[in-house]
Amino acid sequence: MYKLIEFIRSIYVVVLFIAIEAIAIGHYARSTHYARARLLAKATQVVGAGHDALAGIRRYFRLERENRDLLEYTARLQERLSAYETADKTLFEITAEAPTTDSLATDATETPDAIQRILNDPQYRTLTAAVISSTISKPENFFVLNRGTRDGVKREMAVISASGAIVGYVVHCTKGYSIALSVLSSSFRTSGMLSGSTYRGSIYWDGADPHTVLMGDLSKYADPQPGREIETNGSLFFPDGVKIGRILDAQLDETGTTYTVRVELDARLSGLSHVILVENRDLDEIHSLMQSDSIGHYIQH
Amino acid sequence: MYRTFPYLTLLAATVLVQVYLFDNLSISIYFAPMIYLAYVLLLPLDTSHFALLVAGLCTGWLMDYTMGTDGLNIISTLPVAFLRPWIIAAVYNREDPHEGGIPSTARFGRAKFFRYLVVCVLLHHLIFFSFEALSWVHLHRTLLRIVISSASSVCFLWITARLFTLKLTTRIG
Repeated sequence: MYKLIEFIRSIYVVVLFIAIEAIAIGHYARSTHYARARLLAKATQVVGAGHDALAGIRRYFRLERENRDLLEYTARLQERLSAYETADKTLFEITAEAPTTDSLATDATETPDAIQRILNDPQYRTLTAAVISSTISKPENFFVLNRGTRDGVKREMAVISASGAIVGYVVHCTKGYSIALSVLSSSFRTSGMLSGSTYRGSIYWDGADPHTVLMGDLSKYADPQPGREIETNGSLFFPDGVKIGRILDAQLDETGTTYTVRVELDARLSGLSHVILVENRDLDEIHSLMQSDSIGHYIQH
Repeated sequence: MYRTFPYLTLLAATVLVQVYLFDNLSISIYFAPMIYLAYVLLLPLDTSHFALLVAGLCTGWLMDYTMGTDGLNIISTLPVAFLRPWIIAAVYNREDPHEGGIPSTARFGRAKFFRYLVVCVLLHHLIFFSFEALSWVHLHRTLLRIVISSASSVCFLWITARLFTLKLTTRIG
């Protein structure tokens, strides 16, 4: 109580000043229409600026949630995009394999069903995760993600950044967490394609620069001009068309048959906070097919 | 209360000069000296903060009443009264400016007293003319009014202070 009285005593002059000043301004504002209009406009400006500042603070604290929502939305869009791309490819293959008029007529009834099946049951499933920790300076680099098997994470799920660029793939998961092998790892391999062409190469990291990877075995007929985009194609883990990066420079090998291209990574791996996980639902089927006896029979012969 | 009569005389004299002389001068719209601030500015250094606020309120109200300005003088005089202790502390540069005496050239020195007058007058005129204009459209004119009127006010306040302290020479030191 004593402290309260002391506090009031220490500020009563300030309060009195503010009160008298406010009353005087209020009285002055009512004196003429001009003063009323101008002061009202100024007061609105001040109040508006205050509300704006408060809204800015509120927005700042909502950013984390908005970021997560946006990432989930991006993941859903990625899923839909992959489904439509698969459907588009299927449609192209059906029409390409149907040279006669009769078979076109037959396929015309089957095509919408096939497309609908792909769209209703897409090949890729996505979910989002936050990056708990990561490394970029070791020969083998990893990301620890805050999603595990209970969230639906599986081994060999592709990991891509919020902007849709490759980051790595899941190599191990527990109930609540998972570990992804970074694209910046000497054991990481995937298949890349020169955007807008059919020329493919193998993507790997030479351990030199955490911002660039190499693309080897690119045909000498490709035109790897600096700035051209490289995207995934024909990978078991990654959907087609996921950005890898842009060409920095290219060098023809000693044999003169293939290029080795330096590619600047699109994803900024050192500052990743959230990622999208992509599951290829056909992967188990592909694995079991590859391990089947019939394949072993061909290998033996 | 000691010095009550001299201060009441100062208030009455400055208000009368302001109302009957300066407010009737039509030299220029940029020339509007305000001498009535002398009462607030020349109150003794040991005047309490509350008493300063009351003095500012009374002076402002009296001027609003006589000039018909509906609160404009209170709006501009009250901040001067409220901030006066801090302005004096900044200008006077002593550990305890509340040791008594009248703010004057004899007590502060010419330079410091001049700075004290300039800061207080500029603060007052800035608020007064800004609220009077209530617009940034003719900002350069408002600024010119502030500068010229402040200069003239400081001159007249300096003279007023000299006249006032001449009468109280024995009590200043």
